Amino acid sequence: MSSATLRPVAQRRALTKRILKSLPWYPFIIINLVVFVVFNLWPWLSMFQTATFKTDLLSHREFVGLDNFVKMAGDELLHLALKNTFLFALLYVPPLVVVSLLVAILVNQKLRGMKFFRSVYFLPNVTNIAVLALVFRRFLSPRDDAPFNYLLGLVGIPAQRFLLDIHQALASIAGLGVWQSFGFFMVIWLAALQAIPQPLYDAGRVDGAYGWRLHRHVTIPLLRPTAAFVVVITTIGALQEFGAIFILTGGGPVNATTTAVYHIYSQAFNFTRFGYASALSILLFLIILVIAYIQNRYLKFDEEVY
Amino acid sequence: MSSLRPQAQRSPLTFLRVWIGFQPNQGLRTVITYLLMGVLAASTVGPFIIMLSVSLTQNIRFLLFPIDLIPNPITLENFQLLFARTLALRWTYNSFYVALVSTLGGVFTSTMAGYAFARGDFIGRNVLFYMFVGILIMPETALIIPQYIMLSDLGLVNSYTALIGPWFASIFGTFLMRQQFLSIPRDYDDAARIDGANIFDTWLRVLMPQLIPAMVTLGILRFMGNWNSFLYPLIVTTKAEMRTLPVGLGTVARSGGDAGLDMAGAVLGFVPTFVVFLLGQRYIIQGVSLSGLKG
Repeated sequence: MSSATLRPVAQRRALTKRILKSLPWYPFIIINLVVFVVFNLWPWLSMFQTATFKTDLLSHREFVGLDNFVKMAGDELLHLALKNTFLFALLYVPPLVVVSLLVAILVNQKLRGMKFFRSVYFLPNVTNIAVLALVFRRFLSPRDDAPFNYLLGLVGIPAQRFLLDIHQALASIAGLGVWQSFGFFMVIWLAALQAIPQPLYDAGRVDGAYGWRLHRHVTIPLLRPTAAFVVVITTIGALQEFGAIFILTGGGPVNATTTAVYHIYSQAFNFTRFGYASALSILLFLIILVIAYIQNRYLKFDEEVY
Repeated sequence: MSSLRPQAQRSPLTFLRVWIGFQPNQGLRTVITYLLMGVLAASTVGPFIIMLSVSLTQNIRFLLFPIDLIPNPITLENFQLLFARTLALRWTYNSFYVALVSTLGGVFTSTMAGYAFARGDFIGRNVLFYMFVGILIMPETALIIPQYIMLSDLGLVNSYTALIGPWFASIFGTFLMRQQFLSIPRDYDDAARIDGANIFDTWLRVLMPQLIPAMVTLGILRFMGNWNSFLYPLIVTTKAEMRTLPVGLGTVARSGGDAGLDMAGAVLGFVPTFVVFLLGQRYIIQGVSLSGLKG
């Protein structure tokens, strides 16, 4: 009997003690918490609500249930936008992954001036997309003697229309993206290459592995987590490409560069369909989540190799 | 031991040598390496040199090759036109103001929260931690529309609050600083406590001074990230005078002016991050490799 009455008291005392011990820590996280609730959690939750309305944010607000999602099935521009988004990822991710790895291997040599080259390759990556767009809009001009066409002319290739050609516009923007980002991923590959312990190679050689076999069993397995990281990060980036498209092509020519994010932007801000844009945002979120999940699983991102 | 290791096998060109039977001697290999790297360097720096050159050229409507890399005469006309015709000065001010406040705020809050997650034992710590991880994996473009709707409901579109708000805390920064605090032995905390310091003093006077390099790294990454952000400042500003420099320059690019004017705008947008990069590249590259290794 007495122990039964004592226990809640002891429990309460322990709880009070724990709360008192906790209190001094909350001021350290309160700003973070407020920012995340206001700018992330709240918008994130309200997105699901807005997605069930037809609203222009001004006068019109009408509950439509799941109509916005049903509407996606018949939205042909959305289908084209999704196709363009995946095409862009294909044009952007593999070249970027390969080029950045090759450049990392190149600058990983112990030669003079390597630090200088690394910095130079990193430069486009710290420059904002508006600057790059201002410059490359001029380089990619369809005129015969604009920079790129001039260079093509030197090797006998006729002038191209680049951003004005429905078959070249998306590839041109992907090329700009690869040029901008390879320095960033070069640094990530470099860190991975330099983290491979030399004794592993020595041990491999002792075990009789040379040349290709040595790389097959030492380098590649050890680069695998980095490869997974780079592929997932670049893919997530590719699926959300916006700045260059907005400035350089505005989704054109003839919607050839209308990607998922551009479609969302355009539905919201050109057509004031905020409910539909919210529903599309949920779709985009799910697509990115599923692709990142599949890549993670397939590439065994979390595998501890080290 | 290391002297027994042949130099050639350590070199990354071993890939080429062994995999495709490409076996040049040391000198030729060095020449080829420098040649490749030189061409690549020209491709990354060349456009910026041409940008600068065109921005200083008089009356240049189109950028056509071949061009004189050193214009004759050198003129600042394009910059004068840029400041006269657009709100470039105001955009520059906006960008600096937003980036500086965002950076200072973000580093400060990350250092606080990182400390709490590294050392604190408080109710809800794990729940909050996983909530933050959850937010970190949210693709930010998917949140753009609801963020705009919220800001519009609050009447905060076209305000500095909207531009700075989400940058005033950083989940990446919080995790980075947490890692940094965890790398400091708890002995420091214990010693400080014995000397009568509370957790605030311990944070500010004992631990934080040891983390200045990490804070500088985070600060530079945040500054760059904020300065270069495009989609978010584009949607939360509709008035020309509230735009940040990249967003403003985006409108310049879309308006189809002279090449000279375009390039003057590009130089204006290029220089600030270039300077920060020159001064802090060691920290930047460190920060990037850090984020990559941690996965």
